[in-house]
Amino acid sequence: MTPRAVSSLGFGLGLRPQHYPVILDGAPELAGAIDWFEILSENYLVDGGRPLAMLMAIRARYPVVMHGVSLSIGSTDPLDMDYLARLKGLAARVEPAIISDHLCWTGVAGINMHDLLPLPLTEEALAHVAARIDRVQAFLGREIALENASTYVTFTQDSVPEWEFLRELHRRTGCRLLLDINNVHVSAFNHDFRATDYVDAIPREAVAYIHLAGHEHNGTYIIDTHDRPVVEDVWQLYAHAVRRFGPVATMIERDDRIPPLADLVRELAQARSLAASALSRPAEVA
Amino acid sequence: MDLSRIEHTFQDGLLGRSQDILRQLRGNARESAETMFAVYRNAYWSRLAEALGNDFPALKALMGDQAFDRMARAYIARHPSQHPSIRWAGRNLPAFLAAEAPYRDEPWFTDMARFDWGLAFAFDAAAAPAAGLANLAGVPPEFWGSIRLRFHPTLDAFPVSTPVDEARPRLLENAAIALDRQARCARAIMVWRVEHDVRFRAIDPLEHAALEAMQAGATFGAMCELVARQAGLDAAPARAAQILQGWLEWGAVAIVEHDELGSAA
Repeated sequence: MTPRAVSSLGFGLGLRPQHYPVILDGAPELAGAIDWFEILSENYLVDGGRPLAMLMAIRARYPVVMHGVSLSIGSTDPLDMDYLARLKGLAARVEPAIISDHLCWTGVAGINMHDLLPLPLTEEALAHVAARIDRVQAFLGREIALENASTYVTFTQDSVPEWEFLRELHRRTGCRLLLDINNVHVSAFNHDFRATDYVDAIPREAVAYIHLAGHEHNGTYIIDTHDRPVVEDVWQLYAHAVRRFGPVATMIERDDRIPPLADLVRELAQARSLAASALSRPAEVA
Repeated sequence: MDLSRIEHTFQDGLLGRSQDILRQLRGNARESAETMFAVYRNAYWSRLAEALGNDFPALKALMGDQAFDRMARAYIARHPSQHPSIRWAGRNLPAFLAAEAPYRDEPWFTDMARFDWGLAFAFDAAAAPAAGLANLAGVPPEFWGSIRLRFHPTLDAFPVSTPVDEARPRLLENAAIALDRQARCARAIMVWRVEHDVRFRAIDPLEHAALEAMQAGATFGAMCELVARQAGLDAAPARAAQILQGWLEWGAVAIVEHDELGSAA
């Protein structure tokens, strides 16, 4: 199957096991409310059982995007070719519209820290990551999209802002960007830059899709928890992004304290409405 | 400091092995690099402990939240995850509990961890159709001795010395339930999956020995001899047949093989 044009994906949700039954029951209130689902790839890199069966049943009804957390594109350990082979195998079954992961590293010395760890924003890191993206894209036979992770520290040796780093990765490798609007907001607060500067620096054609999520504000810093609804500042930044990028596939990501699907559908409807409104008033671009 | 050195030093900081990374980091206008780096360090330990809690829910209920968290952190320090999926982070936990003081002194912990892990393994292991009793019906009587079984790929079987199979459902319903921690037993637990449903069953040591033999490739005839040595010649045929019938009825067998007329055996 040829991957669908990304802009045609519309508005999606992260697929969570708690919601399998209601999705497969085909409840009338879901009709037309969810255009696609994003899966956490690692949850389905298994040999059998209920998760894979549920995924394939849902895939029969919805487009799916594969989103991973263990590519570790920035690690100085060798690429994990077993992992990539399993990812490619899952992609052959699922035929995802997009395969994405994060701009980060997840461990070295054979250890997986299971976290999205920050990279120094240097020419050395840029060359390293670009070379690995080339290898991954060649192996998978397709472009990947990389997400801006929320970060809590920066490095003394950083030489460019993150948006320039991403822009250059896109230019060198052709990889797409999964722009997490919440993560831009979180990192902007944590590192004292303007979130709109970040969004405005991202090339329009680079954005494969957008993540929206909630976070925990601790007063002096923000933690990207994905455990609550999207906040107003992030909605405003999303509207700004839509005015810049035009119609772009968008989804709500919730990883903890998962509410009933109907709650997420309402939040997704808010995204849909806000995007339509922003697109109807492009002149308001800041 | 080059990228590789940065990453190793950063990771050492997360693992509590060194604080050298702090000299390479910046915080923000309100918080120090140390405070902001602690966000990563705290997240690492709590994320892994939470994942272990998800994969070992009955062990967590048995130990209590605080004791489980302390144990989980000790385990993670000894066995950092090396798998792309956090789902496999706990694969060494039963062995850790069996070997490490003070946990090794409480057999309930090792047994419950082994049971939790068996259930987690069966949940998403490879699928296969199950054989049934009908697969025995076509075996001519003279070839019963040659029967070999290929068990379902989700099947796991392990001995326990505590009645965790009885306690687990009760613990998951109410972690505060009073258990007789002095209770001991000699049994094994079989765990496997039928379609998408994970099943388990307690079996006695004789059946476990028969299972291990046939998992290793022994014929039904050899299994009958094993049963006869322990249960006596008179009781052996009925007992062995009952064991075989049970495995097939429960869906724990994938393929029944046997010699045929003209075969070498």
